[in-house]
Amino acid sequence: MGQTALVTQSGQKPVVQVIDFHKRYYKHPAVQGVDLTIRPGEIYGLIGPDGAGKSSLMKAVAGVLTFDAGTVEVFGINLDSEAAAERIKGRIGFLPQGLGLNLYPDLSVEENIDFFARLRLVSEAELAGRKQRLLATTRLLKFRDRPMKNLSGGMKQKLGLICTLIHEPQLIILDEPTTGVDPVSRRDFWAILAQLLHEQGITALVSTAYLDEASRFHRLSLLYEGRVLAEGEPDTIQALAPGSLVVLQPERQMEALAGLKARFPQVEALGSWMRVFVNEADPPTAIQQVQQVLAGIPVRTIYADEPELEDVFIALLHQQQLARHHPIKAASAETAANVRSGNGVAIEALELTRDFGAFRAVDDVSFRVRQGEIFGLLGANGAGKTTVIKMLTGILRPSQGAGHVAGADMHRAGMAIKQRIGYVSQAFSLYQDLTVVENIRLYAGIYGLSMADTRKRTEWILDMGGLDGHENDQAGSLPMGLRQRLALGCALVHRPQVLFLDEPTSGVDPIGRRHFWDILFDLSRNEGVAILITTHYMSEAEHCDHLALMFAGRIVADASPAEMKRQVEAEVGGLLELTTDQPTLAMERLLEQGYKETTLFGRRLHLFSRQPDSDRRRIPALLSAAHIEVASIMPRPLSMEDVFVYWVTTLERQESAVATGTG
Amino acid sequence: MNESLHPLQFVYVWLRQLQVMTIKELRQLSRDRALLIYIIYIFTLDIVIAAGAINTELNQSKLVVHDADHSAASRELIYRFQPPYFSLVGTVTDANQGLYLLDQGDAMLFLDIPERFAATLGQGERAAKVQLLIDTSKATPGFLASSYSARIMADFSREWASQQLLRAGLEPGSVPIIQNQRRIWYNPTLDEAWYGTLAQLLTMITVACLLLPAAALVREKERGNIEQLLVSPLTPFQVMFSKVLAMILVTLVGTAVSLFGVMQPFFGVPIKGSAPLFFALTALYAFTTAGLGLVAATFARNSAQVGMLVLLMVIPINILSGDRTPLESMPLWLQYLTNVFPLRHFIEITFGILLRGAGLAALWDSVLAMTLLGCLLFALGLWRFRRQFG
Repeated sequence: MGQTALVTQSGQKPVVQVIDFHKRYYKHPAVQGVDLTIRPGEIYGLIGPDGAGKSSLMKAVAGVLTFDAGTVEVFGINLDSEAAAERIKGRIGFLPQGLGLNLYPDLSVEENIDFFARLRLVSEAELAGRKQRLLATTRLLKFRDRPMKNLSGGMKQKLGLICTLIHEPQLIILDEPTTGVDPVSRRDFWAILAQLLHEQGITALVSTAYLDEASRFHRLSLLYEGRVLAEGEPDTIQALAPGSLVVLQPERQMEALAGLKARFPQVEALGSWMRVFVNEADPPTAIQQVQQVLAGIPVRTIYADEPELEDVFIALLHQQQLARHHPIKAASAETAANVRSGNGVAIEALELTRDFGAFRAVDDVSFRVRQGEIFGLLGANGAGKTTVIKMLTGILRPSQGAGHVAGADMHRAGMAIKQRIGYVSQAFSLYQDLTVVENIRLYAGIYGLSMADTRKRTEWILDMGGLDGHENDQAGSLPMGLRQRLALGCALVHRPQVLFLDEPTSGVDPIGRRHFWDILFDLSRNEGVAILITTHYMSEAEHCDHLALMFAGRIVADASPAEMKRQVEAEVGGLLELTTDQPTLAMERLLEQGYKETTLFGRRLHLFSRQPDSDRRRIPALLSAAHIEVASIMPRPLSMEDVFVYWVTTLERQESAVATGTG
Repeated sequence: MNESLHPLQFVYVWLRQLQVMTIKELRQLSRDRALLIYIIYIFTLDIVIAAGAINTELNQSKLVVHDADHSAASRELIYRFQPPYFSLVGTVTDANQGLYLLDQGDAMLFLDIPERFAATLGQGERAAKVQLLIDTSKATPGFLASSYSARIMADFSREWASQQLLRAGLEPGSVPIIQNQRRIWYNPTLDEAWYGTLAQLLTMITVACLLLPAAALVREKERGNIEQLLVSPLTPFQVMFSKVLAMILVTLVGTAVSLFGVMQPFFGVPIKGSAPLFFALTALYAFTTAGLGLVAATFARNSAQVGMLVLLMVIPINILSGDRTPLESMPLWLQYLTNVFPLRHFIEITFGILLRGAGLAALWDSVLAMTLLGCLLFALGLWRFRRQFG
């Protein structure tokens, strides 16, 4: 363990230097004037929603994309010609976007690695050693003979990483390596990446669409629509939009929401909770300001919290006047009359089971969703979420068990169910070559709406989704956020009582996501629509009234988000965040000392502690004995991601223990 | 909603669903520029090209002669190999040179006339011999050259014989002779373009009917649209049949353009029978073939695969249905088997109506066979679709 990594003095020559970079595709500008400096040994992050210009920038740095203006220097070589680009390619590793897209599905893990190594002219002797080491670190040794197509998403991405590292590059460029990977595999991937880069002193440029991954980077740039919104260390960026986050649980929710929205630009409803970002206010002042607005509305709980990067991101957009705000119109008198009886059960799953051959995809799943409730179904890829949705929507027949959806028996009244539900699938499932209005009319026709109703609903959908002005645009040309609202609109064209959403916000930018959730909240509270949703964004899980966590086809936890966090805290203790300038060494010490649940987040460490108070004193002393200085150690509230990762890793451990016990 | 509907209202909603889905298909097709250009091409330019593509006549076959006799008789024989069928490219002084030109492919026929050809002919005691060597590596022109030249020789020898008879004072008419009176029906000028363009139109209708609905269905699978349709109150029948309906319309328009815009004005292809009957039966054929395309679509995972499957099916269908080769030349068991190809029946129908002016009375068996096949194939496609997504 040398101190080669993490040398970030600005005196050193940068590995990558980008100045005033411009790239356009036909008439559409993708990147407009971006500067970027990456120092040796850094993990540099590019964070931004789809279409922010991340991929264009990364491809240019990798020397595989020409650009229109500006300079790109890598290892001090100006990439102004193809010949120059060829000179750096041997020292670079590039993992393009898309899960396993650069790998060969029919080749085994080992064959894939061998192929990439030989392509890079790695000698056989070196290859054998490196392959062994990389497979061991990524825990893929057992799977070396398995065809790549049979790997899980997380494993594919680890194999992609090995193939990128096999020729020992000095700079690796990873384009959204964690997109589409479940939270557990995502954490695993970051840990392995940090370890490998640290061991070999490699510099990395990594992009992500998940804002909560910012803490994984040493420094980062926030990109939005081809421009840099902010850059620097995570803390520096956080400080650009000073303010406090107020979390509260008010009594009369809709009234409180309306009041807060009128006063503060960033208000989110999360189940029975609300989050309000108060600009440029310290915590006590922020709470005071919120309470003033809520005069007369009783509040059960209220406290101040540190804002997350997403809040900062949106605040920065507001600062720079880039945010386009679409106020949600209150439900019209007509739709309000349509509100269903408050407490009826909208979805009931009773011991649902589904087998595919010998494989049991869903095992004895039961739950209930009330009318007007937002119910979240969480789980890693392959946990059975989509199969449950498919059974409830009538696409798939259950092997055993029963269910009622919107008052109809799923065994006997499939057609009636289909008339009463709406469904938004993972991929954009509308017709991209039809215009917005043509799509809406098509679905109105499919659901047998009369011409008059079709006109009324088309207007309502355009209004609800903020689609005015886009009526005659082809759906494929819309940005992701608008597309998903159109998909939602089409799913609502016939006023369904129950709405199924399968990862509806993948690839949608944070503002679009918040707008989407505003609509869902309005639907559930004002129109009494029951909503069942699956999501990959753990921060979105907090929006749900109730959550069910699936693992290996079973429901392993079923509670509200707050309860789930309490349960995990009761089992493993509170979360401590430790800041130090030698995080890797500190982590080794802590693992030796029995703090098993320690994970690396950029320069910080997260660890669970049963006695947070005593550990807060004990750990700095313990580390300073090893000459590691601790800058701070603070308790942090658990996130839904912490809960998810805790559950899944615990269950995986149990399962492998059982497997080795019986086998 | 649905379960409480009045039956009449139910039918109305059902038809409206089918209508919006069919319009959607047409709209999508109209936005797919590449596919649109392809469809226009196969019904226009491709037909024009096909008119000249198949040529079963001999054309400018290169003839080389070795004339060792240099007599009036030998010159007359050579003179009978006339353009446009033959073209005399030269004479050689050595028979080996002629063989060499044959080997090189510079000549297709080599006529070798030995010395004393005219003398032997004049004596009439023995048969005068000439040697004709023909390159038949290309079977059809080779076969034609051989039969044409055989006829030239026979005519020459018969005329020479009757002249000899005359000289001997005999009346040539007293020799028994069959006079062959031919009447060519249905295509009196033996216009190759009629057959060529019609055969090509049939092939292209087949390609369009296989490919368009299959591609439309696979595209929905590829882009994930199908899931959205499956959770809607549409039945699999409506999903599939709307595609067939849209593509039948496109095929009918294409066929009309081809027939009235290309084949009739430029090649004079007649429509002897009832045009409405022909179009009605084209629609039936389109439905039948679309069924096969949909079955293929349930096996394919993406557009590329469906394209290859269609290619794989078109060639044997085309060859085994008798579009290019006569059915009678196939073994009997294969002739029975070809009944399962809808194209076989549609060929009967097309040539029957357009060239022979036949009506339903003559074609009912083909129509019945095609209807049965169509229903069977569509049901099979529907069953596979349900199994895949149900």
